[in-house]
Amino acid sequence: MAEEFLVVKDLHKSFNEFKAVNGVSFSIEKGEIFGLLGPNGAGKTTTIRMLSTVLGADSGDATIGGHSIRRDAEAVRRIIGVCPQDLALYEDLSALDNMVFFGRMAGLNGDEARAQAMTNLELMGLEDRARGKVAKFSGGMKRRINLAIALMGNPQLLFLDEPTVGIDPQSRNHIYENILGLQKKGMTILYTTHYMEEADRLCQRVAIMDGGQIITLDTPYKLKSQIGSPEQVTMEDVFLKLTGRSLRD
Amino acid sequence: MKNLKHIWFIALKDLKIFTKDRAAVFFFIGFPFLFIILFSFLLGGVGSEDERMELHMVTLEAAGGLSHQIIGAMETMDKSQLGPGAPKMVWDRDYDEARRAVEDGELDGFIAFPADFTQALMTGSGTQLEVFADAGNVNARAALNGLAGAISSQIGTHQVIINSSVALMVEGGVIPADTASINTAVQQIMNELFAAGAAGAEASYVTFRTEKVGEVEAENPANFVIPGYLVMFVFFAAAVTAETLVRERQNHTLERLLATSVRRESILGGVFTGTALRGLIQIVIFWVVGILAFNVDLGLSPLAVIILSILMVIMSSAFAVMLATLARTQRSAGSLATITGLLLAPLGGCWWPFFLYPDWLQTIARITPHAWATSGFNKLMVFGADFSSAVPNMLALLGFAAVFGAVAVWRFRTSAA
Repeated sequence: MAEEFLVVKDLHKSFNEFKAVNGVSFSIEKGEIFGLLGPNGAGKTTTIRMLSTVLGADSGDATIGGHSIRRDAEAVRRIIGVCPQDLALYEDLSALDNMVFFGRMAGLNGDEARAQAMTNLELMGLEDRARGKVAKFSGGMKRRINLAIALMGNPQLLFLDEPTVGIDPQSRNHIYENILGLQKKGMTILYTTHYMEEADRLCQRVAIMDGGQIITLDTPYKLKSQIGSPEQVTMEDVFLKLTGRSLRD
Repeated sequence: MKNLKHIWFIALKDLKIFTKDRAAVFFFIGFPFLFIILFSFLLGGVGSEDERMELHMVTLEAAGGLSHQIIGAMETMDKSQLGPGAPKMVWDRDYDEARRAVEDGELDGFIAFPADFTQALMTGSGTQLEVFADAGNVNARAALNGLAGAISSQIGTHQVIINSSVALMVEGGVIPADTASINTAVQQIMNELFAAGAAGAEASYVTFRTEKVGEVEAENPANFVIPGYLVMFVFFAAAVTAETLVRERQNHTLERLLATSVRRESILGGVFTGTALRGLIQIVIFWVVGILAFNVDLGLSPLAVIILSILMVIMSSAFAVMLATLARTQRSAGSLATITGLLLAPLGGCWWPFFLYPDWLQTIARITPHAWATSGFNKLMVFGADFSSAVPNMLALLGFAAVFGAVAVWRFRTSAA
């Protein structure tokens, strides 16, 4: 049996009366790409914010690499990388400055941070734009920098919150390849997306959330099998069947 | 150690972002000097030195007369040796030329010794000093009259001494009672008395000194204009950087930082340190330019001025961080910074000298840190106070900084996420 790297147990979080996350439990194996899907407001981002220790949980707990997010948040932060849904960059600085800064924040020394920044920029195909001001980058380039920063400090678990939103197919494909490359190196990835084909292509297992709860969790193949022939049914069909067709905010 | 490193990296990052924005750099450093130049001009003239009063003297006597000795003893040879407020004594050689200069308005006036000055003194026939002054220049006339009075009074004292001495000498048989011997003795004593005066001997047993009482205007307006604008712009510039932390939150970089092993207090410390570093750069530029270009005098205790400046920076940075934790959006942070900066500056004596405010307004103004800072600078740089006089102002700024800092930490802990 594979080692469970992330274990989430009955996690709850409310904002006033609104229950954003309501008893979420799942686990992710080491080296797995795990998809967390759901319509807007399902609780995906809140779950990721709690797991990345930015937001405190009301109750429940999770362990990452054996460290509790509630009792040992600092140890958790040392082994995770976060690529937030929104671009989290200093636009007035260069790509290299951004990466070196976050590398230093992740505990690297100056030389390590610069070396790793160049490696990651190369990985993202941006090595020739290292000294370019981020503000002048295209949307796709910014997304790639956003992901590259999350890799600074060699995290063991990567949270990718909709990393491909709003970019062209070329940049998206480049990011897919990078994610698969990271998995081959043994990195564990928790991935959220609204693009169902992404989840189908990248994730070994997928959990679909709605109303703050996980309503189903399985491999894409098995999820598709639940409603028809896996060759003919898409993940979008599964998603819409489970979460309904009504509009969400 | 790790936390200190994080604080330092965040501060350096903020400084780097700041230097990329040329408009911001101009606003922080260039813009204040436009104000300073304008207000220094309005409040007394840019770069003009305080003009020392000159008192001119002329003698019509031939060389070797006593008037030559008196003027020679009084003439100012080295202006740098003069004490504060002491007039410069000038010996004009030509009476007619000096008179023409007064008539042409080139000279305020002069004192003239008559041609028979020594002879009159020796014979006891009496003589008269002439004060020739521009009727419209009341100050020069009064000063020349005062000087003439002082000279005649001094000579009168000498005359009494000489007469008494000669009388005693005749009575005691030291010198014969003939005119020639008496004239010789008078001449000798007179020479000795004036020679002693020229050598710096105390000419009078009763001396006086002038002490300024109450609040008077500074000699150089830059001495209160520059500190005022330093306080205003250091505070205002710091307050504006409150947007930094709000921007971190809005740009989601704060969330990214919170997901690293950086402590929340380190993030706050980094923003504070970055703001403080900018403030320190500002005050260094302010004082260096102030001293070199505006002839600012740091007073008796430059150390106190420096400490007060640093505390001003610390207080302003703490205020900026507090503002950042209170504001929810960049716009509200910017608005709060502008409102507080522009309201507190005039109240706190940054636009006009604090010491000119009425007492009731000075009392109210003490609720602002600006007032403590400007009144501290005024004490040190305008009224010549020593270090200890500025200690209450330093403590007050430290108190403001502690309160602002405590609020910032409390707010950040409860609202960062």
